[in-house]
Amino acid sequence: MTSIVRPAMLQKTCFAAASRRAFSTKLSSNPATNPTSVLSRKVVRNTFARDAVPGSMRVAAFHASGRRSLLPALPQVVQGTANDPAPVPTPSPSHGSYHWTFERLISAGLVPLTIAPFAAGSLNPMMDAILCGTILIHSHIGFESIVIDYIPTKRLPKTRVLFWWGLRAATVLVGVGLYEFETNDVGVTEAIKRIWKA
Amino acid sequence: MASLRATSRLFTAARPAFRQSIRSFASVSDTAKGGAVPPSKTSTIKEPTHDPEAKIKTFHIYRWNPDEPTSKPRMQSYTLDLNKTGPMMLDALIRIKNEVDPTLTFRRSCREGICGSCAMNIDGVNTLACLCRIPTDTKQESKIYPLPHTYVVKDIVPDLTQFYKQYKSIKPYLQNSTPPPNGKEYLQSKEERKKLDGLYECILCACCSTSCPSYWWNSEEYLGPAVLMQSYRWLADSRDTKNEERKSQLDNSMSLYRCHTILNCSRTCPKGLNPGLAIAEIKKEMAF
Repeated sequence: MTSIVRPAMLQKTCFAAASRRAFSTKLSSNPATNPTSVLSRKVVRNTFARDAVPGSMRVAAFHASGRRSLLPALPQVVQGTANDPAPVPTPSPSHGSYHWTFERLISAGLVPLTIAPFAAGSLNPMMDAILCGTILIHSHIGFESIVIDYIPTKRLPKTRVLFWWGLRAATVLVGVGLYEFETNDVGVTEAIKRIWKA
Repeated sequence: MASLRATSRLFTAARPAFRQSIRSFASVSDTAKGGAVPPSKTSTIKEPTHDPEAKIKTFHIYRWNPDEPTSKPRMQSYTLDLNKTGPMMLDALIRIKNEVDPTLTFRRSCREGICGSCAMNIDGVNTLACLCRIPTDTKQESKIYPLPHTYVVKDIVPDLTQFYKQYKSIKPYLQNSTPPPNGKEYLQSKEERKKLDGLYECILCACCSTSCPSYWWNSEEYLGPAVLMQSYRWLADSRDTKNEERKSQLDNSMSLYRCHTILNCSRTCPKGLNPGLAIAEIKKEMAF
Protein backbone atom coordinates (compact mmCIF):
# COMPACT_ATOMS: atom_id res chain seq x y z
CA MET A 1 0.00 0.00 0.00
CA THR A 2 2.82 2.34 0.84
CA SER A 3 4.31 1.65 -2.52
CA ILE A 4 1.14 2.73 -4.31
CA VAL A 5 0.96 5.92 -2.31
CA ARG A 6 4.60 6.66 -2.77
CA PRO A 7 5.83 5.44 -6.15
CA ALA A 8 9.35 6.61 -5.32
CA MET A 9 9.51 4.03 -2.58
CA LEU A 10 8.50 1.25 -4.94
CA GLN A 11 11.12 2.35 -7.40
CA LYS A 12 13.72 2.33 -4.66
CA THR A 13 12.80 -1.18 -3.57
CA CYS A 14 12.78 -2.41 -7.14
CA PHE A 15 16.14 -0.93 -7.84
CA ALA A 16 17.64 -2.33 -4.67
CA ALA A 17 16.34 -5.79 -5.48
CA ALA A 18 17.49 -5.55 -9.06
CA SER A 19 20.99 -4.31 -8.36
CA ARG A 20 21.47 -6.76 -5.53
CA ARG A 21 20.60 -9.61 -7.84
CA ALA A 22 22.61 -8.33 -10.75
CA PHE A 23 25.78 -7.67 -8.81
CA SER A 24 25.53 -10.53 -6.38
CA THR A 25 28.10 -13.28 -6.45
CA LYS A 26 26.24 -15.48 -4.01
CA LEU A 27 23.84 -18.25 -4.83
CA SER A 28 20.86 -17.23 -2.76
CA SER A 29 21.26 -13.64 -1.76
CA ASN A 30 18.20 -13.00 -3.87
CA PRO A 31 15.24 -11.76 -1.82
CA ALA A 32 12.90 -13.34 -4.36
CA THR A 33 14.03 -16.81 -3.37
CA ASN A 34 13.53 -16.20 0.33
CA PRO A 35 10.26 -17.99 1.17
CA THR A 36 9.38 -15.70 4.06
CA SER A 37 9.74 -12.54 2.06
CA VAL A 38 6.80 -10.74 0.54
CA LEU A 39 8.86 -10.59 -2.61
CA SER A 40 8.63 -14.35 -3.01
CA ARG A 41 4.92 -14.24 -3.72
CA LYS A 42 4.46 -15.06 -7.32
CA VAL A 43 2.60 -11.97 -8.44
CA VAL A 44 4.93 -9.61 -6.66
CA ARG A 45 7.98 -11.43 -7.91
CA ASN A 46 6.84 -11.36 -11.51
CA THR A 47 6.25 -7.65 -11.56
CA PHE A 48 9.50 -7.00 -9.75
CA ALA A 49 11.66 -9.37 -11.71
CA ARG A 50 10.29 -8.47 -15.11
CA ASP A 51 10.25 -4.74 -14.84
CA ALA A 52 13.10 -3.99 -12.52
CA VAL A 53 15.78 -6.16 -14.11
CA PRO A 54 16.54 -5.52 -17.76
CA GLY A 55 17.35 -8.54 -19.89
CA SER A 56 21.02 -7.75 -20.18
CA MET A 57 21.38 -7.61 -16.41
CA ARG A 58 19.44 -10.80 -15.84
CA VAL A 59 22.38 -12.70 -17.31
CA ALA A 60 23.98 -14.32 -14.30
CA ALA A 61 26.72 -11.80 -13.70
CA PHE A 62 29.54 -13.20 -11.66
CA HIS A 63 31.46 -9.99 -11.36
CA ALA A 64 31.00 -8.14 -8.09
CA SER A 65 32.04 -4.87 -9.71
CA GLY A 66 30.35 -4.32 -13.03
CA ARG A 67 31.16 -6.30 -16.14
CA ARG A 68 34.39 -5.71 -17.96
CA SER A 69 34.26 -6.40 -21.65
CA LEU A 70 37.54 -4.50 -22.18
CA LEU A 71 40.28 -6.91 -23.25
CA PRO A 72 38.81 -10.05 -21.68
CA ALA A 73 41.31 -12.81 -20.95
CA LEU A 74 41.97 -15.18 -23.83
CA PRO A 75 42.19 -18.94 -23.40
CA GLN A 76 45.44 -19.99 -21.82
CA VAL A 77 48.36 -20.58 -24.18
CA VAL A 78 51.51 -22.34 -22.99
CA GLN A 79 54.53 -21.69 -25.22
CA GLY A 80 56.40 -24.95 -25.67
CA THR A 81 56.02 -27.47 -22.89
CA ALA A 82 55.41 -26.62 -19.27
CA ASN A 83 59.07 -27.42 -18.55
CA ASP A 84 60.54 -24.95 -21.03
CA PRO A 85 61.68 -21.62 -19.61
CA ALA A 86 59.79 -18.53 -20.68
CA PRO A 87 61.49 -16.86 -23.69
CA VAL A 88 64.06 -14.20 -22.79
CA PRO A 89 63.85 -11.03 -24.92
CA THR A 90 66.96 -9.67 -26.63
CA PRO A 91 68.66 -7.03 -24.48
CA SER A 92 68.09 -3.41 -25.55
CA PRO A 93 69.45 -0.98 -22.93
CA SER A 94 67.98 2.02 -24.75
CA HIS A 95 64.53 0.71 -23.80
CA GLY A 96 65.73 -0.72 -20.51
CA SER A 97 68.39 0.61 -18.16
CA TYR A 98 69.40 3.75 -20.10
CA HIS A 99 65.77 4.67 -20.56
CA TRP A 100 65.10 4.21 -16.85
CA THR A 101 68.15 6.27 -15.82
CA PHE A 102 67.21 9.07 -18.22
CA GLU A 103 63.62 9.01 -16.95
CA ARG A 104 64.76 9.30 -13.33
CA LEU A 105 67.20 12.13 -14.11
CA ILE A 106 64.43 14.06 -15.84
CA SER A 107 62.05 13.49 -12.91
CA ALA A 108 64.64 14.51 -10.34
CA GLY A 109 65.66 17.51 -12.41
CA LEU A 110 62.09 18.75 -12.58
CA VAL A 111 61.94 19.38 -8.83
CA PRO A 112 64.52 22.22 -8.70
CA LEU A 113 63.43 23.49 -12.12
CA THR A 114 59.86 23.92 -10.89
CA ILE A 115 60.82 25.62 -7.63
CA ALA A 116 63.67 27.81 -8.93
CA PRO A 117 61.81 30.48 -10.94
CA PHE A 118 59.30 31.10 -8.13
CA ALA A 119 61.91 31.01 -5.39
CA ALA A 120 64.34 33.29 -7.20
CA GLY A 121 61.62 35.49 -8.64
CA SER A 122 63.55 35.85 -11.87
CA LEU A 123 61.92 35.31 -15.25
CA ASN A 124 64.78 34.04 -17.33
CA PRO A 125 63.34 32.90 -20.70
CA MET A 126 66.12 30.34 -21.01
CA MET A 127 65.11 28.69 -17.73
CA ASP A 128 61.51 28.77 -18.85
CA ALA A 129 62.38 26.99 -22.07
CA ILE A 130 64.32 24.29 -20.19
CA LEU A 131 61.41 23.76 -17.81
CA CYS A 132 58.98 23.42 -20.72
CA GLY A 133 61.21 20.97 -22.54
CA THR A 134 61.73 18.82 -19.44
CA ILE A 135 58.01 18.68 -18.64
CA LEU A 136 57.32 17.73 -22.25
CA ILE A 137 59.82 14.84 -22.18
CA HIS A 138 58.63 13.78 -18.72
CA SER A 139 55.00 13.57 -19.77
CA HIS A 140 55.91 11.87 -23.04
CA ILE A 141 57.74 9.12 -21.11
CA GLY A 142 54.81 8.82 -18.72
CA PHE A 143 52.23 8.41 -21.47
CA GLU A 144 54.55 6.01 -23.28
CA SER A 145 54.52 3.86 -20.16
CA ILE A 146 50.72 3.88 -20.08
CA VAL A 147 50.57 2.80 -23.74
CA ILE A 148 53.06 -0.05 -23.13
CA ASP A 149 51.13 -1.18 -20.04
CA TYR A 150 47.60 -1.14 -21.36
CA ILE A 151 47.96 -1.75 -25.11
CA PRO A 152 50.02 -4.93 -25.42
CA THR A 153 51.61 -5.44 -28.83
CA LYS A 154 50.68 -9.11 -28.92
CA ARG A 155 47.03 -8.44 -28.27
CA LEU A 156 46.33 -5.21 -30.13
CA PRO A 157 49.20 -4.58 -32.61
CA LYS A 158 47.31 -2.05 -34.74
CA THR A 159 45.89 -0.09 -31.80
CA ARG A 160 49.38 -0.03 -30.30
CA VAL A 161 50.86 1.52 -33.46
CA LEU A 162 47.99 4.00 -33.64
CA PHE A 163 48.47 5.14 -30.03
CA TRP A 164 52.26 5.14 -30.36
CA TRP A 165 52.22 7.56 -33.27
CA GLY A 166 49.28 9.45 -31.84
CA LEU A 167 51.31 10.09 -28.70
CA ARG A 168 54.29 11.28 -30.74
CA ALA A 169 52.08 13.61 -32.77
CA ALA A 170 50.54 14.96 -29.56
CA THR A 171 53.97 15.56 -28.05
CA VAL A 172 55.14 17.44 -31.16
CA LEU A 173 51.92 19.47 -31.15
CA VAL A 174 52.37 20.40 -27.50
CA GLY A 175 56.03 21.22 -28.17
CA VAL A 176 55.08 23.59 -31.01
CA GLY A 177 52.37 25.12 -28.83
CA LEU A 178 54.77 25.71 -25.97
CA TYR A 179 57.33 27.23 -28.38
CA GLU A 180 54.70 29.63 -29.66
CA PHE A 181 53.66 30.45 -26.10
CA GLU A 182 57.25 31.10 -25.07
CA THR A 183 58.22 33.22 -28.07
CA ASN A 184 55.06 35.20 -28.78
CA ASP A 185 53.41 35.30 -25.34
CA VAL A 186 54.47 35.67 -21.70
CA GLY A 187 55.84 32.18 -21.08
CA VAL A 188 54.82 29.39 -18.71
CA THR A 189 56.23 30.78 -15.45
CA GLU A 190 54.70 34.21 -15.95
CA ALA A 191 51.35 32.65 -16.97
CA ILE A 192 51.21 30.56 -13.80
CA LYS A 193 52.17 33.59 -11.74
CA ARG A 194 49.27 35.56 -13.20
CA ILE A 195 46.74 32.79 -12.73
CA TRP A 196 47.92 31.78 -9.27
CA LYS A 197 46.09 33.80 -6.66
CA ALA A 198 46.93 32.06 -3.43
CA MET B 1 -13.87 -74.99 -8.34
CA ALA B 2 -14.62 -76.54 -5.03
CA SER B 3 -11.07 -77.68 -4.69
CA LEU B 4 -9.92 -74.17 -5.46
CA ARG B 5 -12.14 -72.80 -2.70
CA ALA B 6 -10.78 -75.38 -0.34
CA THR B 7 -7.20 -74.34 -1.02
CA SER B 8 -8.10 -70.71 -0.53
CA ARG B 9 -9.64 -71.57 2.79
CA LEU B 10 -6.52 -73.40 3.69
CA PHE B 11 -4.53 -70.21 3.00
CA THR B 12 -6.83 -68.06 5.11
CA ALA B 13 -6.42 -70.49 7.90
CA ALA B 14 -2.68 -70.48 7.56
CA ARG B 15 -2.24 -66.73 7.22
CA PRO B 16 -2.49 -65.77 10.93
CA ALA B 17 0.21 -68.28 11.66
CA PHE B 18 2.49 -66.63 9.04
CA ARG B 19 1.80 -63.21 10.38
CA GLN B 20 2.65 -64.19 13.93
CA SER B 21 5.86 -65.98 13.18
CA ILE B 22 7.45 -64.20 10.19
CA ARG B 23 5.87 -60.88 9.40
CA SER B 24 5.44 -59.42 12.85
CA PHE B 25 5.07 -55.72 12.20
CA ALA B 26 5.18 -53.47 15.16
CA SER B 27 1.70 -52.25 15.91
CA VAL B 28 -0.31 -51.12 18.87
CA SER B 29 -2.31 -54.32 19.06
CA ASP B 30 0.83 -56.43 18.88
CA THR B 31 2.52 -54.71 21.78
CA ALA B 32 -0.70 -54.79 23.71
CA LYS B 33 -0.85 -58.52 23.15
CA GLY B 34 2.75 -59.15 24.12
CA GLY B 35 2.81 -56.60 26.92
CA ALA B 36 4.59 -53.18 26.96
CA VAL B 37 8.28 -53.04 26.10
CA PRO B 38 10.24 -52.43 29.28
CA PRO B 39 11.93 -49.03 29.46
CA SER B 40 15.37 -50.64 29.54
CA LYS B 41 14.83 -51.93 25.99
CA THR B 42 13.61 -48.69 24.43
CA SER B 43 16.13 -46.34 22.92
CA THR B 44 15.69 -42.61 22.48
CA ILE B 45 17.54 -40.68 19.79
CA LYS B 46 18.84 -37.49 21.29
CA GLU B 47 18.53 -34.60 18.88
CA PRO B 48 21.51 -32.24 18.95
CA THR B 49 20.46 -29.20 20.92
CA HIS B 50 21.06 -25.69 19.69
CA ASP B 51 24.32 -24.56 21.22
CA PRO B 52 23.99 -20.94 22.40
CA GLU B 53 27.78 -20.71 22.65
CA ALA B 54 28.27 -21.64 18.98
CA LYS B 55 30.17 -19.13 16.88
CA ILE B 56 28.70 -19.73 13.46
CA LYS B 57 30.69 -18.12 10.68
CA THR B 58 29.86 -18.11 7.00
CA PHE B 59 32.50 -18.76 4.35
CA HIS B 60 31.81 -17.91 0.72
CA ILE B 61 34.08 -19.96 -1.50
CA TYR B 62 34.69 -19.66 -5.23
CA ARG B 63 33.62 -22.81 -7.04
CA TRP B 64 34.24 -23.80 -10.63
CA ASN B 65 34.31 -27.31 -11.98
CA PRO B 66 36.26 -28.02 -15.20
CA ASP B 67 34.02 -31.02 -15.83
CA GLU B 68 31.17 -28.59 -16.45
CA PRO B 69 32.93 -26.03 -18.63
CA THR B 70 29.72 -24.30 -19.70
CA SER B 71 28.57 -23.48 -16.18
CA LYS B 72 29.74 -20.21 -14.74
CA PRO B 73 31.89 -19.95 -11.63
CA ARG B 74 29.81 -19.33 -8.53
CA MET B 75 30.21 -18.61 -4.85
CA GLN B 76 29.17 -21.37 -2.48
CA SER B 77 28.47 -20.67 1.17
CA TYR B 78 29.43 -22.88 4.05
CA THR B 79 28.81 -22.30 7.75
CA LEU B 80 31.07 -23.62 10.46
CA ASP B 81 31.07 -23.39 14.24
CA LEU B 82 34.35 -21.66 15.04
CA ASN B 83 34.47 -23.39 18.46
CA LYS B 84 34.95 -26.70 16.70
CA THR B 85 37.32 -25.42 14.02
CA GLY B 86 41.04 -24.74 14.18
CA PRO B 87 42.22 -21.12 14.22
CA MET B 88 43.44 -20.84 10.64
CA MET B 89 41.62 -20.54 7.34
CA LEU B 90 43.22 -23.77 6.17
CA ASP B 91 41.66 -25.58 9.15
CA ALA B 92 38.27 -24.28 8.08
CA LEU B 93 38.84 -25.38 4.48
CA ILE B 94 39.98 -28.83 5.53
CA ARG B 95 36.99 -29.16 7.84
CA ILE B 96 34.60 -28.15 5.06
CA LYS B 97 36.20 -30.71 2.77
CA ASN B 98 36.11 -33.46 5.39
CA GLU B 99 32.69 -32.87 6.88
CA VAL B 100 30.57 -30.80 4.53
CA ASP B 101 31.59 -30.98 0.89
CA PRO B 102 34.27 -33.42 -0.31
CA THR B 103 34.17 -31.92 -3.81
CA LEU B 104 35.81 -28.68 -2.61
CA THR B 105 39.28 -28.54 -4.17
CA PHE B 106 42.33 -26.66 -2.94
CA ARG B 107 46.08 -27.18 -2.66
CA ARG B 108 47.66 -27.63 0.71
CA SER B 109 50.63 -29.50 2.05
CA CYS B 110 52.66 -28.37 5.04
CA ARG B 111 49.98 -26.33 6.94
CA GLU B 112 52.75 -24.14 8.43
CA GLY B 113 53.71 -21.62 5.76
CA ILE B 114 56.76 -23.33 4.33
CA CYS B 115 55.50 -24.96 1.13
CA GLY B 116 53.46 -22.14 -0.40
CA SER B 117 50.76 -24.46 -1.75
CA CYS B 118 47.73 -22.89 -0.10
CA ALA B 119 48.14 -19.40 -1.57
CA MET B 120 44.71 -17.90 -2.22
CA ASN B 121 42.81 -14.66 -2.02
CA ILE B 122 41.15 -14.47 1.40
CA ASP B 123 38.96 -11.46 2.19
CA GLY B 124 40.60 -9.54 -0.63
CA VAL B 125 44.21 -10.22 0.33
CA ASN B 126 46.52 -12.74 -1.28
CA THR B 127 47.88 -14.89 1.50
CA LEU B 128 48.59 -18.41 2.61
CA ALA B 129 45.49 -20.02 4.10
CA CYS B 130 47.64 -21.76 6.70
CA LEU B 131 49.06 -18.45 7.97
CA CYS B 132 45.76 -16.54 7.90
CA ARG B 133 43.70 -16.52 11.08
CA ILE B 134 39.94 -16.75 10.76
CA PRO B 135 38.54 -13.39 11.90
CA THR B 136 36.52 -14.25 15.01
CA ASP B 137 33.92 -11.63 14.21
CA THR B 138 31.09 -13.94 13.14
CA LYS B 139 29.03 -11.14 11.63
CA GLN B 140 31.63 -10.67 8.92
CA GLU B 141 31.48 -13.33 6.27
CA SER B 142 34.75 -14.53 4.78
CA LYS B 143 35.24 -14.72 1.04
CA ILE B 144 37.81 -17.03 -0.50
CA TYR B 145 38.86 -16.74 -4.14
CA PRO B 146 41.74 -18.24 -6.12
CA LEU B 147 44.77 -16.00 -6.74
CA PRO B 148 43.59 -13.09 -8.90
CA HIS B 149 44.25 -13.03 -12.66
CA THR B 150 45.30 -16.65 -12.83
CA TYR B 151 43.80 -19.36 -14.98
CA VAL B 152 41.79 -21.55 -12.64
CA VAL B 153 42.28 -25.31 -12.74
CA LYS B 154 39.43 -26.05 -10.33
CA ASP B 155 37.77 -24.19 -7.45
CA ILE B 156 40.67 -22.38 -5.70
CA VAL B 157 43.50 -24.12 -7.52
CA PRO B 158 45.29 -21.67 -9.86
CA ASP B 159 47.44 -22.61 -12.85
CA LEU B 160 50.97 -21.37 -12.16
CA THR B 161 52.62 -22.72 -15.33
CA GLN B 162 53.67 -19.29 -16.61
CA PHE B 163 54.99 -18.31 -13.18
CA TYR B 164 57.22 -21.39 -13.00
CA LYS B 165 58.35 -20.99 -16.61
CA GLN B 166 59.41 -17.43 -15.82
CA TYR B 167 61.22 -18.64 -12.72
CA LYS B 168 63.10 -21.14 -14.84
CA SER B 169 64.05 -18.45 -17.36
CA ILE B 170 66.13 -16.51 -14.79
CA LYS B 171 68.33 -19.59 -14.18
CA PRO B 172 67.78 -19.83 -10.43
CA TYR B 173 70.98 -21.70 -9.61
CA LEU B 174 74.62 -20.89 -8.87
CA GLN B 175 76.58 -20.14 -12.02
CA ASN B 176 80.33 -20.03 -11.57
CA SER B 177 82.79 -21.01 -14.30
CA THR B 178 85.89 -21.04 -12.07
CA PRO B 179 86.50 -24.07 -9.87
CA PRO B 180 86.29 -23.44 -6.12
CA PRO B 181 89.60 -22.08 -4.79
CA ASN B 182 89.99 -24.72 -2.09
CA GLY B 183 88.82 -27.47 -4.43
CA LYS B 184 85.73 -28.17 -2.35
CA GLU B 185 83.30 -25.28 -2.11
CA TYR B 186 82.84 -21.54 -2.67
CA LEU B 187 83.21 -19.73 0.63
CA GLN B 188 81.38 -16.60 1.67
CA SER B 189 82.05 -14.04 4.38
CA LYS B 190 79.39 -13.30 6.96
CA GLU B 191 78.70 -9.93 5.35
CA GLU B 192 78.28 -11.49 1.94
CA ARG B 193 75.90 -14.05 3.38
CA LYS B 194 73.92 -11.34 5.11
CA LYS B 195 72.99 -9.83 1.73
CA LEU B 196 70.91 -12.90 1.00
CA ASP B 197 68.76 -12.57 4.11
CA GLY B 198 65.24 -11.57 3.18
CA LEU B 199 65.72 -13.03 -0.30
CA TYR B 200 66.32 -16.74 0.13
CA GLU B 201 63.27 -17.21 2.39
CA CYS B 202 60.88 -16.79 -0.54
CA ILE B 203 58.75 -19.91 -1.01
CA LEU B 204 57.39 -18.93 -4.45
CA CYS B 205 53.75 -18.98 -3.40
CA ALA B 206 52.97 -16.38 -6.11
CA CYS B 207 50.99 -14.18 -3.70
CA CYS B 208 53.05 -11.11 -4.63
CA SER B 209 53.13 -11.63 -8.39
CA THR B 210 49.38 -12.14 -8.59
CA SER B 211 48.74 -9.03 -6.49
CA CYS B 212 50.69 -6.83 -8.91
CA PRO B 213 48.49 -4.92 -11.39
CA SER B 214 51.41 -4.65 -13.79
CA TYR B 215 51.74 -8.44 -13.71
CA TRP B 216 47.99 -8.76 -14.26
CA TRP B 217 48.20 -6.81 -17.53
CA ASN B 218 51.52 -8.12 -18.83
CA SER B 219 52.21 -11.50 -17.26
CA GLU B 220 53.42 -12.87 -20.64
CA GLU B 221 56.44 -10.57 -20.65
CA TYR B 222 56.84 -8.90 -17.25
CA LEU B 223 58.52 -11.28 -14.82
CA GLY B 224 56.68 -10.17 -11.70
CA PRO B 225 57.93 -9.45 -8.18
CA ALA B 226 58.55 -13.02 -7.01
CA VAL B 227 60.73 -13.97 -9.97
CA LEU B 228 62.54 -10.61 -9.93
CA MET B 229 63.33 -11.01 -6.25
CA GLN B 230 64.82 -14.43 -6.97
CA SER B 231 66.73 -12.84 -9.83
CA TYR B 232 68.18 -10.37 -7.35
CA ARG B 233 68.93 -13.21 -4.94
CA TRP B 234 71.38 -14.59 -7.53
CA LEU B 235 72.66 -11.14 -8.51
CA ALA B 236 73.47 -10.43 -4.87
CA ASP B 237 75.19 -13.76 -4.33
CA SER B 238 78.96 -13.26 -4.04
CA ARG B 239 79.64 -16.75 -5.39
CA ASP B 240 77.80 -16.17 -8.67
CA THR B 241 79.95 -14.86 -11.53
CA LYS B 242 77.31 -14.49 -14.26
CA ASN B 243 76.06 -11.11 -13.03
CA GLU B 244 76.37 -9.39 -16.40
CA GLU B 245 74.45 -12.11 -18.23
CA ARG B 246 71.74 -12.01 -15.60
CA LYS B 247 71.46 -8.23 -15.87
CA SER B 248 71.38 -8.23 -19.65
CA GLN B 249 68.47 -10.68 -19.50
CA LEU B 250 66.46 -8.03 -17.68
CA ASP B 251 67.66 -5.12 -19.79
CA ASN B 252 64.59 -4.50 -21.93
CA SER B 253 61.39 -2.57 -21.52
CA MET B 254 59.24 -5.48 -20.38
CA SER B 255 61.06 -7.95 -18.10
CA LEU B 256 61.97 -5.60 -15.26
CA TYR B 257 60.84 -2.08 -16.07
CA ARG B 258 57.12 -2.79 -16.00
CA CYS B 259 57.50 -2.45 -12.22
CA HIS B 260 55.97 0.91 -11.32
CA THR B 261 56.64 0.60 -7.57
CA ILE B 262 53.00 -0.07 -6.75
CA LEU B 263 54.33 -2.15 -3.80
CA ASN B 264 51.32 -4.44 -3.53
CA CYS B 265 53.95 -7.19 -3.48
CA SER B 266 55.58 -6.02 -0.26
CA ARG B 267 52.23 -5.41 1.37
CA THR B 268 50.80 -8.84 0.63
CA CYS B 269 53.83 -11.11 1.16
CA PRO B 270 52.74 -13.71 3.74
CA LYS B 271 56.36 -14.32 4.69
CA GLY B 272 57.02 -10.62 5.38
CA LEU B 273 59.61 -10.23 2.62
CA ASN B 274 60.10 -7.13 0.51
CA PRO B 275 60.13 -7.85 -3.24
CA GLY B 276 59.68 -4.15 -3.98
CA LEU B 277 63.01 -3.36 -2.36
CA ALA B 278 64.74 -6.16 -4.27
CA ILE B 279 63.42 -4.82 -7.58
CA ALA B 280 64.58 -1.31 -6.65
CA GLU B 281 68.05 -2.73 -5.91
CA ILE B 282 68.17 -4.37 -9.34
CA LYS B 283 67.18 -1.10 -10.99
CA LYS B 284 69.87 0.74 -9.02
CA GLU B 285 72.54 -1.81 -9.95
CA MET B 286 71.62 -1.57 -13.61
CA ALA B 287 71.32 2.21 -13.70
CA PHE B 288 74.96 3.32 -13.97
